[in-house]
Amino acid sequence: MIHNIHVSQYIPPTLFHIVSATAAITHAAGAVSGTIAVNRGAANETSVVTIPIMIPSNARALQGSKLVSIEVDFINGTAEFTSHTFVLNRVTRGADLGVAVVDAITKTDSVAATASHAVDEVKQVVTLTIPEWVDNDCYYLLEDTIVAGAGGGTCKFLGAVANFTLRL
Amino acid sequence: MIHNTHFAQYIPYTAMHFVTGTWTDTAGDVSGTIAKHKAANTETSVVTVPIMIPSNSIALQGSKLASIELDYECETAAATSVTAVLHKIVRGADGAAAVASHPTITQDLVAAVAAAAHDEHKIVVTLTTPVWIDNDEYYLCEFSFVCGAAVTIDVFGAVANFTARM
Repeated sequence: MIHNIHVSQYIPPTLFHIVSATAAITHAAGAVSGTIAVNRGAANETSVVTIPIMIPSNARALQGSKLVSIEVDFINGTAEFTSHTFVLNRVTRGADLGVAVVDAITKTDSVAATASHAVDEVKQVVTLTIPEWVDNDCYYLLEDTIVAGAGGGTCKFLGAVANFTLRL
Repeated sequence: MIHNTHFAQYIPYTAMHFVTGTWTDTAGDVSGTIAKHKAANTETSVVTVPIMIPSNSIALQGSKLASIELDYECETAAATSVTAVLHKIVRGADGAAAVASHPTITQDLVAAVAAAAHDEHKIVVTLTTPVWIDNDEYYLCEFSFVCGAAVTIDVFGAVANFTARM
């Protein structure tokens, strides 16, 4: 039996899902040479960024991955945002002809919604109040709702890291 | 030696490859989910799922791929058919082309009937002979959506089921 509580998985921004009415969503170089980012262009509107948590799951209870926390690196540019609000959803897949069921997971954020808006580099750590073993019929999506406000700032997403226990 | 036959890996649609048709990122029908949406048009669209699980350079170690599941919805109307094909890609050496072959699979939903019905679907593609994945190869699971003028498609995500041995 392998039981390692320090396993992490990098999730590149190319896997992120970003929906915005008019803001341009583009691949861009990161602020630091050699890094990559997905850039949400300036627009005075609300955008929703969803990060799929790609870690192994398992059909057996208490095996596979126990999701503990997720870190998101992003850069607010140009102007202050009104807020970034994070929601962690567990999606239980539907059977054939059935719909999925979504449950919001209780968690804490290292940076408050109203404190993550400044023009700066931000590392948001979302920690599950109760870490969860990931069943093979479930997956997790971390959603960041960006309220731009009148400044219409830009935002570069550099990537995310999922921290979990791996048990084989 | 670890040998666990119940491993799975979620593969979000953002890792998939969409050819033919107008595809857009959108919120899923269920709040909090995400989807890739195909606009209505008479055409055959091809969605390819890269199977992102570990491989190993030593025989009989790493991952043994057993099946792949795709979650999608035929909206507005039934499609004509939804058909899966699995490609095994052996990477080429420098200067050489890759070589593709097609392991035998079965899909649990009949292509032109259950898989194409106007509804939400979970289709399971099962390898007749599960395969250990060498580090010089990878697998792509391709789904062809044959669509009439009225049907739209939402693709939500996929899951690969495998044995992990380390």
